[in-house]
Order: sequence, then C-alpha cells, then structure tokens
Amino acid sequence: MEKYLYIALFAPLVGSLFAAIFGAQPKIKFVGLAASGFLFVSFVSALVLLFEVMATGQAIHVEMMPWIAAGDLYIPFGFVVDQVSAIMMVVVTTVSTIVHIYAIGYMDHDKGFNRFFSWLSAFVFSMMILVMSDNFAGLFIGWEGVGLCSWGLIGFWYHKESATWAANEAFIMNRIADLGMLLGIFLIYWNVGSIQYDAVFAAAPTIANDTLVWIGILLFIGAMGKSAQFPLHPWLADAMEGPTPVSALIHAATMVTAGVYLVIRANPIYVEIPDVGYLIASLGAFVALFAASMALVNRDMKRIIAYSTLSQLGYMFVAAGLGAYWVALFHLMTHAFFKALLFLGAGNVMHAMHDELDPYKMGRLYPIMKGTAILMIIASVALAGIYPLAGFFSKDKILEVAFSGEHYILWGTLWITAGLTAFYSFRLIMLAFFGDTARYKEHGIHPHEAPKFMLVAMSPLALLAIVAGFFEHGFVHFVNAVLPEFEFHTHHVEMILIAVTSLMALGGIAVAILLYRRGRISTKWESTWVYKMLINQYYIPKIYDLIFVKPYGAFSHMMWKNIDMKVVDATVDFIAKTVYSTGEKTHTMQSGNLSVNLRWMVVGVMVLLLAAFVPTLWEFASNFYTQNLHYFGAN
Amino acid sequence: MMDHILSFLVFFPLVAGILGFIVNKDSIRAYGLSVAAIELFASLALWFNFDMSHSGIQFVEQASIVSAFGINYFLGVDGISLFIIIMTTFMTFIALLGLSETPRIKNLIITVLVLEMTMVGVFVALDAILFYLFWELSLVPMLYIIGAWGGPKRIYASIKFFLYTFTGSLIMLVGMIYIAHMYYTLTGQWSFSLMDWYTMTFYDLNVQFWLFMAFFVGFAIKVPMFPFHTWLPYAHGQAPTIGSVILAAVLLKMGTYGFVRFSLPLFPDASVMMMMPIAVISVIMIIYTAMVAYAQEDIKQVVAYSSVSHMGVIVLGTFALNVEGISGSIFLMLSHGIVSGALFMLVGVIYDRRHTKLMSEFGGLASVMPAYATIFGVMLMASVGLPLTIGFVGEFLSLLGFYKVSAPMTVFAGTAIIVGAIYMLSAYKKAFFGPVTNPENAHLSDLNGTEKWALIPLVLVVAWLGVYPKPVLGPIDHSVKALVQFMHDNAVTEKAKAIIPAPLADANKGEDN
Amino acid sequence: MITVSHYLVVAALMFAIGLIGVMRRKNLLMLFFATEILLNAVNVALAALSNHFGDLTGQMFAFFIIAIAASEVAVGLGLLIVWYKRTGRLDLDELTTMKG
Repeated sequence: MEKYLYIALFAPLVGSLFAAIFGAQPKIKFVGLAASGFLFVSFVSALVLLFEVMATGQAIHVEMMPWIAAGDLYIPFGFVVDQVSAIMMVVVTTVSTIVHIYAIGYMDHDKGFNRFFSWLSAFVFSMMILVMSDNFAGLFIGWEGVGLCSWGLIGFWYHKESATWAANEAFIMNRIADLGMLLGIFLIYWNVGSIQYDAVFAAAPTIANDTLVWIGILLFIGAMGKSAQFPLHPWLADAMEGPTPVSALIHAATMVTAGVYLVIRANPIYVEIPDVGYLIASLGAFVALFAASMALVNRDMKRIIAYSTLSQLGYMFVAAGLGAYWVALFHLMTHAFFKALLFLGAGNVMHAMHDELDPYKMGRLYPIMKGTAILMIIASVALAGIYPLAGFFSKDKILEVAFSGEHYILWGTLWITAGLTAFYSFRLIMLAFFGDTARYKEHGIHPHEAPKFMLVAMSPLALLAIVAGFFEHGFVHFVNAVLPEFEFHTHHVEMILIAVTSLMALGGIAVAILLYRRGRISTKWESTWVYKMLINQYYIPKIYDLIFVKPYGAFSHMMWKNIDMKVVDATVDFIAKTVYSTGEKTHTMQSGNLSVNLRWMVVGVMVLLLAAFVPTLWEFASNFYTQNLHYFGAN
Repeated sequence: MMDHILSFLVFFPLVAGILGFIVNKDSIRAYGLSVAAIELFASLALWFNFDMSHSGIQFVEQASIVSAFGINYFLGVDGISLFIIIMTTFMTFIALLGLSETPRIKNLIITVLVLEMTMVGVFVALDAILFYLFWELSLVPMLYIIGAWGGPKRIYASIKFFLYTFTGSLIMLVGMIYIAHMYYTLTGQWSFSLMDWYTMTFYDLNVQFWLFMAFFVGFAIKVPMFPFHTWLPYAHGQAPTIGSVILAAVLLKMGTYGFVRFSLPLFPDASVMMMMPIAVISVIMIIYTAMVAYAQEDIKQVVAYSSVSHMGVIVLGTFALNVEGISGSIFLMLSHGIVSGALFMLVGVIYDRRHTKLMSEFGGLASVMPAYATIFGVMLMASVGLPLTIGFVGEFLSLLGFYKVSAPMTVFAGTAIIVGAIYMLSAYKKAFFGPVTNPENAHLSDLNGTEKWALIPLVLVVAWLGVYPKPVLGPIDHSVKALVQFMHDNAVTEKAKAIIPAPLADANKGEDN
Repeated sequence: MITVSHYLVVAALMFAIGLIGVMRRKNLLMLFFATEILLNAVNVALAALSNHFGDLTGQMFAFFIIAIAASEVAVGLGLLIVWYKRTGRLDLDELTTMKG
C-alpha cells in the first residue's frame, strides 16, 4: 500500500515539475493534459488507499526519511493515511483533478498557461503533505507550501497591481497566523519532547491544563489565518483577484479548510480543553453571520461566493469547536464539492461576460447559458441546505450539534445565517441568470456558453453535491474509528429542528426570488448606513490600512531616516569626528621648529618624571603622616 | 595529504594568489576559478575524511611559533567549523564564477584569493593569537576591495568598515592577553591555545563577565549587532558585488562563530547572565532592521538590512544555550551565507544591466527576465524561511531553542517570519511585478550563461539542504552536544548549571581536549 | 666625605645645564654641546651609582654611552657640515621641513 501512498503524494509534484520545465514558454496544451493526468493518477491512488483503510480499518503509516534532527528533536518525513486523511486526500484530489481539467479550458487563452499548471499542481502537492503528515512540522511544511502556492496563484496575473497586492496581503496575514502555529509547535515540543501526532496525542491528557489551553489557542491562531477567520479574514475576499479555478480549488474547497482539518486532527488536544473549543465555536458562529451579512449586498460575483465560503468555514468551526469533529469533516467535504462547483460556474459566467463580475450588469443569462445556470443552481440549492442535496445533511447536523449542546445563541446565529445564505445565493442566481432584462446588452457584451468539456468536467461535482449527503451513515461509521463520537441529545426534537431550519432556508430563497424577480431592486436602500457598512465590509480593510499598513510604512521610514541615520549612525560618526577634530586642533604643536619640539619633549619628560614620582612621594608623605601622627595633634 | 590538509587550505589560496601576479590578464579569471575550485574540493575532501562519530577537533596541526609566550600554529576543525569552512570555499568559488567584467580584474581576483586565506584561517585557528591574526588580516583585502572597486562613497565606507571593526577587535585582543596571563599565573606557562584555555575555569564571576564583554564587543561589531550595525549598509552600498557576497556570506559569520568558539565555552556563567540582555538586543535587531529594510528604496540596502535582521535570529539561537538553539544557529549561519550571498549576486545581475539599484527604476521585471525572477523568488522564499528551503531549518531550530529560555522573547523574535515576509515581498513586488513602466527595462536580457552557472548551484543547495539537512546538521549537532555538555560542566554557578542542559548521558565526557 | 649624593647632585646640575642649553640655544653646534653635557650628566650618575652598589653594569653602560655619543657626534657633525655648506647657516629655527 505504501506504493499508492507515494504515488498519491508525489504524482502532483511530478506534474508540477513537468509543467515548470515549460514555465516560460507559450501555451502547450499537453502540459495541461499531463498535469491533469498526474492528478488523476493521484486521485485513483487516494481512492485505493481509502478503500484499503475502509477494508482493514488500519491506518497506513510510513516514514520516508529523516528531516530535522537536533538535540532531542527528531522530525521525519512521515506520512499517515488514516480515516481522516484518507477522506481529505480523496476530497482534495477529486476537486483538484476536476479543476485541472476545467482549467485547460479556462486558461486557454492565457500566455502563462504552463506556469499556471505548475503552480496549481504544486499546490496540490503541498495540500497532500498537509493532510498526510504524521507530525506537526510536516503539517507546517504543507501549511506554508499552500501559502506559497496561494501567493503565486493569487498574484498569477502579476502585471495587475491589485493582484500582487492581494497576493502579498494573503501571504503576510497568513504568516501572522503561522507564527502562532509555530509557537504552538514549540510549546508542544518542550512539553512532550516530540511533535509526532501519536506521541503528542497520547501525552495530551497528561499535560497541565494551562499549557494545553495555550497549545490549543496557538494552534487555532494558525488555523484562523489559513481559514480566514475574523480578524484575519480580509485576505480571502481580496484573493479573488486570482484566476477562478484557483478560487475554486484553493480558496473554497481545500486550502481554507486546512484550519478546520487542523482542529479535527488535533482533536485529542481540543477534547481536553472544552473552553477553548467553545471559544472556537463562538468565533465560528460570529464569522458565519458576519461573512454572510457582507455577502448580502456585494456586487462582485466572486466576492459573494468568497464570503459565503467564509461563512461556511464558520459553520465548520462551530461543529469542530463543540466537539462534533465528524460533522465538521462531513461539512468540509460536502462544502468542497458544491462550493467548487459554484466557483467554476462563476468562472464560466466570467468568461462569458468578458471578465465582468458585477451581477447587476448581467441578467437573463439563463437562455444563453443553460448548462452553467443549472449547475450553479444545483450548487446554490446545496449551499442553502435544501433536502435532499448534500448541504442539507451536513449543515443541518451542525445546527443540531449547537442545539444539542444547549448553545442556543450559537444555534440562533447559525439559524439566521442559514436564511441569509439561502438569500444571497439566490440573489446571485436571480441577478445573473433571470430577471426581465438582459442588462449585459447595455454594456455591449455578447455572452456565450462555456465549451462543453468544461461543463462535463464540472458535472461530477454536481453529482457529488446532490448525492454526497446520502453517504452520511457510512461516513460516520468510517471516520468515527479515529474521531471521538458525538452524543446528540436532540432525538426528541430532531424533526422539528429540521423543519425549522429548512423553512428558514426556503424562506430565504423565496425572498430572494421575489425581490429580484425583475432584476435589481430600488437603489433607495443603497444610501442607508447599513448598506454602506456592509458594502465596505464593516470598514475593516480601511481600518487595517489606517492602523497597521500606513503606520508601519511611516514608522519604518522614521526608523530609517531619523533613528538609524540620525541617532545610531550619527553617534558613531560623532566619535570618529571627535577623534579627527582633536587631531586637527593639536597638529599645530608640530610646527616643525626643532627648538619648540625640544621644549615639548622636555615637558613630556617632566610629566613622565612626575608620574613616576608622585606615587612615591604620596607614599612617603602618608607614611610620614602616619608615623608622626602625634605631631599633628591626633590623640 | 590529509595530515596537512588544513595548512593546505589556509595557504594554498595565498600562494596561488601571489603566483597570480605572473599570470597574464586574459587567463586570470580561469586561473582564479581553478584555484577556488581546488580549494573547494580540498574542503570537500575534508568533509569526506571527517570522522562523524567523533565530536572533538580533528586534523590537528600544531607547531610552536613563540614558545616563550605559548603562541602556537594550532589548527583543527570540528563539526561546528567544518561546514563554515566549506561554505566559505563554496561561496568564494561561486562569487568568482559570477564575477562580471571589471577593471583591474587581476588585482581583484588576487585580493579575493588572499581574502579566502584569511577567512579559512579564522575558522581553522585554535590558537587565540593565530585567530586574531587572521581575523584582522581579513580586514585588509576587504578594505581594498571596497576602496578600489566600490561606488562613489567608497573611501568613506571602507574606512568606516575598517576602523569600526578594528576598534572592536582590539578590545578583544586585550581580553585574550588577559586570559593568557591568567593561564600564566595558574600554571606558570603562557598559552594562547584554546584547548589550554578550555581547561581553565573562571571562578571569579566578575572577571568572567568583563572578559565576556571584551570578546562580545569584538564579535558584536562584526556580526553586526544593534547598535553597532551602521557600518554594514555603507559597506554593502559601496562594495562591488563580489565584495558584498563575501562580506555577507562569510565575514559576518566570523562574529557569530566567535561566540560559539570563545564566548560560550569559556564563559558559561557570563553567557547565562547575559542571555536576556543579548536576547533583547537580538529582538531589536530583528524587528528594527526589518522595518528599516522595508523603508529602503535601494534593493541592495534591503538585502543588507535583511542580513542584519537574520543575524539577529542567529545570535538569539546561539544564546539559547541548548543543543537545538545552537545547532540551529550554526545551520542558519550556513543558510544565511548561501541565501544572502545569492541575493547579493542577484542584485549584482540587475546592477550590471541597469547601473542602478533603485527599485523605483525597475518594475515588471518578471515578464522581461523570467529566469532571473524565478531564481530571485526561490532565494526570497529561502530568506523568509519557507519550509523545505535551507532557510527554514536553522530559523525553526533557533527559535525553538530559545522558546525553552523565554516564550515572550520568542514571540517577539518570531515576528521575524512576518516582518521578513513584509519587506521581502514588497521589494519583490516593486521590482518584479506590475507592468513594465520604464522603457529601459523592456529589452533587458535574461540571465546569461555565467550567471546561470553561478546561481543554479546555489538554488540546488538551497533545495537540497532544505529537504535533507541531515548530512550537515548531523555533525553539527554532534559537536554542539559536546559543546553544551562542556559548558554545563564548566559552569561555576548552580544557576548556570540549571539553565544549560547536559545533553550527553555520561557526564564526565566533555569537550575532547 | 664625598658621598654618592654629591655625585648625584653634580649630575643633576649638569643635566639641568644641558637641558637649558638644549632649550635655549639656537645654534646647532651649541645644541650638540648641550646634548653632550646631558649625556655626561647621565654618565656621572651611572658611574657614581655603580660604585655605590658595587655593580659594574653601570660603568659598562657609561662606556657604551661614551661610545655612542662619539659615533653620534661623528655622524651629527658630518651632517652639520653638509647643512652648513648647503645653507651657510646653522640656525635651528630654519629647520622646519617636519611641520605637521
């Protein structure tokens, strides 16, 4: 089985390196095909591994080679495929294979075609390391690796100022969180003496609770960066500057869920510290509502979906924080399918609209883009959580988890968010595909449907978005071999809860359809403060710019010009100048006149003589004094 | 051959450099390269013949110079110095390989060879006077390189460089003589041999502290530690590319190497005493210079200040006084040598084409020079310490080591990974991203053959040691364990003994001397 | 009784005379004389102390000084003659080429 493990892991790397060879050359279609092929191989291997784990119930654990060994620290390149990582691997490879194939069409006219596939496959490789590692350092490799690829892909169109800015923003914000994670790893090492999962999780119950709380918080700070939780969230919306397949793969399906994966993976730690878990859940619920509210009014198709991702990540953290790890993982999986589908659909629309993203400039695209529209509607219904699509099963379970733990505030927040989710999803659908007028004509755009193979490539995702929910029981059974069980105390109200939630979602959809059935609504409310606050993302990017970015630049400049140059360096120069000026002033002594020089020499001799004699004289005097004390009137 | 390999390593470049005067001007480049290549192979031979199971010094050569004062010609290497020597010969070779067309190239190459002699000498010398000799001699060729081939303010920069570092080392010399005199009063014999010094214990903590400070000033200026760092931006700003490469890659390492070779084993109690003050200075170095780097307009100054910032992490790791931290800091010395050397070479590449280093003059270079942009990107990522590049291993271990000592300090020092990303990425963005706005940049040629030959080995090393650091980290770790054990045994106070761990199981096995 | 102190007083007086001569005189020839007085003052002191301590090293040293003084005068006078031939004067204040 090790063979399949290595194939699953390294096939994307091979694909990436292969594409990198042609990185600077103009488009070669074969590069895209090859990269997709390698990904498919990886996907098949991941499936084989999944079935193997399913059949045997045993994790596959290999240690490839040592990496860092110093002092007592020993970090190998070790990989483990257990129930959790097998699921993650299959999800990652499924979505990435589809996105790769899709991207062959999407990036067709781009001159960086080969480079794109190199980055994209490198991303998958990093993601595989992230989910397969058997220790925290390996996780960190993947963690930073996906960050790097995300940087390269957000800034893929590097001639665009906004894209490179967003890329740097994403990288730096993630680095802030990574510091937290790194510190968490340090703390683990100095308390356990190892950073292997096995050893750490075995030792978790024996570590002092305070320490464990710190470990939990520090690791979660790392997760907050990758999963764009408040207050480290603004990068995700800006990351939409990248090509749409990137948004689908990295910023919806896989990378951003790494934080959730971390919490799930580290469940033996978080089980011990329910308070931190509750904190995570509360933050998750807040982010769910917070992000959904920003999605309500946004006028950028991709950003709407990005906020929706953020909101769904909040849901996952609620489940993970409250200890329902399998529910979080389940939602992670279903979300990956329908959200990737939604993004790819958005990509089709974007292409059709010549990179126009404002849904207010679309309208009535349905007759032209039937395929895309149907796929996107499927995804939106799944996202809204309508039976029998995948989102229904997973999201409903999260609400049940919150209710079961008697966290009614969390439940209420999520319940409202469910309505908002349904609303903004269908607002987008209505604005883009339906309505009375085809507004795109006013803007002189002639949309066209995407090539058939792109739609075909998307269809497996649509299928999964529809049926994934029905695997729930098998899924629970499978992953609970390694994850703790979650006890639901809601059997008596289960049906009521489902009904209430579904009604909320249906209500949201209905409101959206009614409001936007004719296209855009009146512009009157755009002048209210609520709208302004939401469209400006609660002014958070502006505040960050004002209190972090600008002062940092100004402060840096001040440090350089005023402190480094005028204080530190000037002090050094002052000492040097003092020495120089002393020389300047005293050099007149060297008049060249020998008799003057001779006199100076005599002065020197006198000084030296005095220096030699003064201590002797002093000694003599003091001896004299002590010996003849009685003469001086002392008694 | 292997008996005298260290003498060969030290004196071969010197002899070859002197013989270089009779080589004619057209073939001097090939001559210099072959000398550097032989030197590199000799240092690699040192590695292959190095006994990995042995943590003490090896390839010892000893001969008396001034027997009355115990000054010896005493050479030897252990796992700590071995790789710094290899890095020195490697970077000299690479720097010569990437040397672009320069006036008076013959003098330059000969100077570099002489400089190589002094650098190798510093790392193999185990006699304090010999160490001091090479240490000071290394200033002269560098002074000449900056003063003769530098930019418009080269005289100011070179004199500042020389006087500043020279002052520091004089104070160090006083410390050395004091220790030798102490040895004399203890044993009735003068000795400047480090191995003899290691047998002494400085029971008087006051003496230990002041001696530590004397050495500290010498090393701190060389590193350069805040606030003694201001000579470095001038030196880098004015030095020609090859000067900057060697300065950043090797000369700065002399300071941190000095800490490991002298300060830690000789003065364990003073080291423990000074742990936190030095950590504070390191943290200031890391954050402050990173911010200054962010404000720079000149890309070479960004790299120069980033050097200082990274040296802060090295010093911090060294003063963690545990195996993880010290091993990490030594590994970081190597990786910093390679990465910052590479970055300076890359800056030199664009300077050769555009004769400016201002980032505002660039922009959009990624589309004009893709290979250049890629290699720069790799080095940038190594510089910010991305895992699986050489930069991560040392940084991770250094910070990990210091976390044991003080978690809050590590939090501040850890911001290195954030502020480092900020200045590096924004510099990269300014120079490489965006549209090509300056027409002069539109038709720049990408890396030529020589530049590729010089840079690709660096990329390979960055990846190789990032993925598989064991061959290097193993021997380092082995020697560092012995060092830390020795420090533990040699410490006078109980407090120091409690802070410095004893990594070796059998406590009586210290530094082999 | 003439003790060592008397000799030393004489030596000190001679030294003072020589020193004043060195400082006051402008003629190079006179300067030489003054220097000789200085050296001989030291010689007197050395010889006296040598006798006092019964150690011949002092007298040895005095002889050395005499020898060195002689050679110095030989070289110095040679230089003076050359200088006089060149300038026709022996004034100390004109020798200012060492101005810093």
